[in-house]
Amino acid sequence: MVYSIGESGSVLEKTFILPDGPLLEVDDLHVEFHTRDGVAHAVNGVTYSVDAGETLAVLGESGSGKSVTAQSIMGILDTPPGFVTGGAIRFRGEDLLKMSKKQRQAIRGESIAMIFQDALSALNPVFSVGWQIGEMFRKHRGASRREAKKKAIELMDRVGIPAARKRLGDYPHQFSGGMRQRIMIAMAIALDPGVLIADEPTTALDVTVQAQIMDLLAELQRESNMGLILITHDLGVVADVADKIAVMYGGRIVEEAEVYEAYSAPAHPYTKGLLESIPRVDLKGHELHVVKGSPPNLLNLPSGCSFHPRCRYRQDRCVTESPPLHQVADDRRSACHYWEEVINDR
Amino acid sequence: MGRYTLRRLLQLMPVLIGTTFLIHFMVWQLPADPFAGRCGERPCSEAFIARMTEQFGLDQPFYIQYLTWLKNAVQGDFGVTFNQVPVITLIENSYPNTLKLALVALAIEGVIGITAGVLTGLKRGGFIDNLVLVSTLFLMGLPIVVVGFAMKWIFWSELGWISPTVSTEVRWSELIVPGFVLATTSMAYIARLMRANIAENSRADYVRTAVAKGLENKRVVGVHLLRNSMIPVVTFLGLDLGNLMAGAIVTEGIFNINGIGLTIFRAIGRHDATIVVPLATLLVVIYIFSNLIVDLFYAVLDPRIRYE
Repeated sequence: MVYSIGESGSVLEKTFILPDGPLLEVDDLHVEFHTRDGVAHAVNGVTYSVDAGETLAVLGESGSGKSVTAQSIMGILDTPPGFVTGGAIRFRGEDLLKMSKKQRQAIRGESIAMIFQDALSALNPVFSVGWQIGEMFRKHRGASRREAKKKAIELMDRVGIPAARKRLGDYPHQFSGGMRQRIMIAMAIALDPGVLIADEPTTALDVTVQAQIMDLLAELQRESNMGLILITHDLGVVADVADKIAVMYGGRIVEEAEVYEAYSAPAHPYTKGLLESIPRVDLKGHELHVVKGSPPNLLNLPSGCSFHPRCRYRQDRCVTESPPLHQVADDRRSACHYWEEVINDR
Repeated sequence: MGRYTLRRLLQLMPVLIGTTFLIHFMVWQLPADPFAGRCGERPCSEAFIARMTEQFGLDQPFYIQYLTWLKNAVQGDFGVTFNQVPVITLIENSYPNTLKLALVALAIEGVIGITAGVLTGLKRGGFIDNLVLVSTLFLMGLPIVVVGFAMKWIFWSELGWISPTVSTEVRWSELIVPGFVLATTSMAYIARLMRANIAENSRADYVRTAVAKGLENKRVVGVHLLRNSMIPVVTFLGLDLGNLMAGAIVTEGIFNINGIGLTIFRAIGRHDATIVVPLATLLVVIYIFSNLIVDLFYAVLDPRIRYE
């Protein structure tokens, strides 16, 4: 895609050149954080991609690098201390990491948008929600205040906020958690982005509201055919909406699969552990399985496979030899030396 | 909001009555002869003392004196001085100068303090940051008397840029140096307050959101970050304006500005209760009301504040 950038930095027109590759492609990304205690290897060679109309769920516990990868895509990584040290992020075939600040700024919000976990802190407390949504149109499209207001009402209607016209002038704290997240979503989809990144969009919400927000995201995606990257640690959220999942551990992707394959027969011990740790009503009274141990220290990752200290399939080889991403099936990869054993172990 | 304002105004009543009573009581009932030294070298004549005692009701019980005074003051009558000059004339002559000085000081502390705070808050640990941190610490530690005389020495005696005293017209340009002196402590405080706010808020989630929206850096900092970081600073500025409007005895004294602070200071020296009481009352009223206005304005700055 070729961007024509106006003087104000806004995108005047988007000319689409049909790319061969996927819509958004993260290729062997490396991110380091330079801290007082040393270098934390937050992302170590992550590769994933998402196509228009496709939903990729990125799973993993805190510190697995899933959010850092997303921040690198958006270009909102805290630098310093965080630095992208290698790899490429291609959007419609063009490497975002090689672009100028101005070009990246023009892509943010316009072509790639993001919604965050806690909408109360992610929305500016001192501006009305209508103003904040309208800002997208005023700053990216040069819309007048009146036009921006109109668009904001339309968007608030579209994401299911009742009495949108009346609530335009309200402030974030005057909305419920679910409604706030809807406003966040309205702001993100305002300019019809090609890719939407949702970083734990439902973590801060009630279970019933979680489902509504996921439904809304799925519906918006169907309508506008955008690529959706859904970052979460909650497997339950993912099952219904995701097309494929990428499980991250210690800054690496350990398993990539179509969502139902991963659920029915995980090919990595960590995925298996995560699935087993979902509480199940039919196993009430039994002890809940958990993934024992604690997340790896990113300053000093374990040798070999970084999951080996917590792995129940561990053998000597795992301590010394880092597993490559084995091709398990056509669209399926696992970073485990013994994936065959794991996948067949029911 | 209306109910809140009304309640706050009602709460002011006991405060005003209490403070005015204390002022009146303490000043008039000082164990000093109100007529000592009032007639030059000689003691005052019996006739003069009798006339004055009659005019100011000094032979009546103190609560009657107070109530009479309060009744007149509420009606806008601040009385006359022992020299038969209406107190309101004194106020008219001196208060505009104090107000001018206060505005100059407020502008200086606001502009310099906020600018320094934003610059250092965005780039912590750099040369400018350290310079500002050290110099603000220095300024906050210095008594205003020292700053005043140091500035006067530099700009009058060494450089000859200013005259030692401000002329009676009190031109704006003459107030720059006195205004700076008056502003130093608050300026240093504002710089630090702003720096801390900017540093803290620049890590806030909504700033990250603003970046993710694809806004230019100028707008992220100048609108989203600044608007939030200004809330405590504007509050402080409002309260400080109340302080400044209540007169600056030291600064007005050093630069010989005919302001309310100097007027009241001189009156205290002469034990002139006829001036001290109404002026002190006026300053209290101004201070209380400026506080109230700041409290009400707070809701405009921060929509999360609600008054119930």
